Amino acid sequence: MAILAVDNVSKRFGGLVAVDSVSFSVAEGEILGIIGPNGAGKTTLFGLISGFMPPSAGDVKFDGASIVGVAPHLLVRRGLSRSFQIVQTFADMSTLDVVTTAALVRRPLLEAIDYAGHVLARVGLQGKEHLTPKQLSLQDKKLLEVAKCVATDPRLVLLDEVMAGLTLAETEAPLAVIRELNAQGVTIVMIEHVMPVIMRLAQRMIVLNFGAKIAEGTPQEIVENKAVVDAYFGDHVDA
Amino acid sequence: MRPDFYRTLLSPWPWLVLTVGAVMPLLLPNYYLHILTVTLIYAALASAWNIVGGIAGQISLAHSLFVGAGAMLSSALLVKLGVNMWLGMLAAAAVSAVIGALVSFIDYRFRLGHLSFALITLAFAEMAEIYVIGTDFLGGASGLFLPRDTGDITQFQFGGGRGAYWVMLGMTALCILVNLAILTSPLGYNLRSMRDNENAAQAIGVGLLRNKTLAMTISAVLTSIIGTIYARYLTFADPYLLASPVLTIEIVLFATVGGLGSAIGPALGAFLLAPVGEILRGQLGDKLPGLHYFIYGLVVIGVILASPGGVWSFIKSLGRRRS
Ligand SMILES: Nc1ncnc2c1ncn2[C@@H]1O[C@H](COP(=O)(O)OP(=O)(O)OP(=O)(O)O)[C@@H](O)[C@H]1O
Ligand SMILES: [Mg+2]
Repeated sequence: MAILAVDNVSKRFGGLVAVDSVSFSVAEGEILGIIGPNGAGKTTLFGLISGFMPPSAGDVKFDGASIVGVAPHLLVRRGLSRSFQIVQTFADMSTLDVVTTAALVRRPLLEAIDYAGHVLARVGLQGKEHLTPKQLSLQDKKLLEVAKCVATDPRLVLLDEVMAGLTLAETEAPLAVIRELNAQGVTIVMIEHVMPVIMRLAQRMIVLNFGAKIAEGTPQEIVENKAVVDAYFGDHVDA
Repeated sequence: MRPDFYRTLLSPWPWLVLTVGAVMPLLLPNYYLHILTVTLIYAALASAWNIVGGIAGQISLAHSLFVGAGAMLSSALLVKLGVNMWLGMLAAAAVSAVIGALVSFIDYRFRLGHLSFALITLAFAEMAEIYVIGTDFLGGASGLFLPRDTGDITQFQFGGGRGAYWVMLGMTALCILVNLAILTSPLGYNLRSMRDNENAAQAIGVGLLRNKTLAMTISAVLTSIIGTIYARYLTFADPYLLASPVLTIEIVLFATVGGLGSAIGPALGAFLLAPVGEILRGQLGDKLPGLHYFIYGLVVIGVILASPGGVWSFIKSLGRRRS
């Protein structure tokens, strides 16, 4: 059964249709990539799935049950966790405190503190437990975004451009973590602009353009798809 | 609770300070004991406010409402209906808890930002003052005189100066202890994450309504109880002092100077500033009214420029530099 089923979901902001009747589903254990030009509606789609905004139309099912209208923190408790494209900083908390808060979702405090330390080490932030997120480099901030997701013990993670702005060498650490997570059975949906990265990682991809899904298939099928190439290189006529 | 909670409790420092505090009434003349008692009241108020304003980072200006409820309602119940003031204290605390929960719900429901939250809570406090002044049962504009304190504890009477001082010392210790307990427990983690970033907090599983309501209710109950003790201590429930938003401003100021969000900072701020204000009010109140506010203002500017995290974070940074 699909762990996530997005069914004809739309989001309108005034006159702008940011997400336009998008449907897709994700099987348990899969890695699905989402790509699309800037402003295509990818982040908005994540907001709709993770409960941060209500869709204007359509339905989202997690584990077979509709989750439209369910508050984000309750979805986290049910195993649906997301990261933010714009790295979220906490002014006064150390990275350890932040990740501990995430770990509290499923653990008592002392265990959560312990587990948070492990998670930080696992994503490669060992030794930086007592820095505040603001003191971290962009690469480390992105790793912290991943660590926060991991610490909630999710079954499905939505990762929004956790590798944007990193050099190809810097993507190795988050890539390894994502692979490891997936190997443990966690389902992953990731938005990524860095094509070589997502091509290597994703088993299946969907492409958004102007809010609508314009293609779906294996990475190989996607790079050969004419509509996708047009969307990226502007060789299309606006309706 | 984190182990450092118990470590702090078992360390000699709090006990030393408490012991020194407890013998003060035996050493100090009445006037200074009065100043110290008022200081403790403000230290406890700043500490109780810190749960919402510091740890959860929501600048609540509603707190004079809770002090007012604790003071005016329990006094009215006693004076007008003969209700035992212990019961009155509990009734007022319950009313404060409900109002606090309502404020949190409004905040959550309408997703108020920090500024709107401050303004709306201020509006609540203003309305409460107007309501008290217009309500005969609550003493109206002239307030309520309480019966003389005969030291009968069953009647919420603590025997005037010394007794009230010891009660306030205990209450202040309790408020600081509650702060420490929150900071070293899951609630503290949740509140701190919300303070910094509500969306990101939700994304790591923190429920805003539950945590906001919990913080506000705990803070409101403590504040209300302090209000009851304050009125009993003054033997006069004065709405222009106890239900006035000006009171909240002082609380916020002390907490900010001392250090928002830490367990001890807000009480420390009250200890640094309240005596100065109280002495100036006593010495120069008729010649230069409001002088203490001017001095508070200067101190706040000074402290915020020197150490934006307040006096306590400055002291901590000194400690860190030495070690
Ligand atoms: N809260 C909002 N209110 C109004 N318009 C919005 C809002 N959020 C997004 N939009 C608009 O919706 C469209 C889709 O934005 P979105 O952030 O989802 O795109 P994206 O595919 O994630 O882009 P990028 O690759 O740049 O991250 C954009 O035109 C954006 O300006
Ligand atoms: Mg985006």
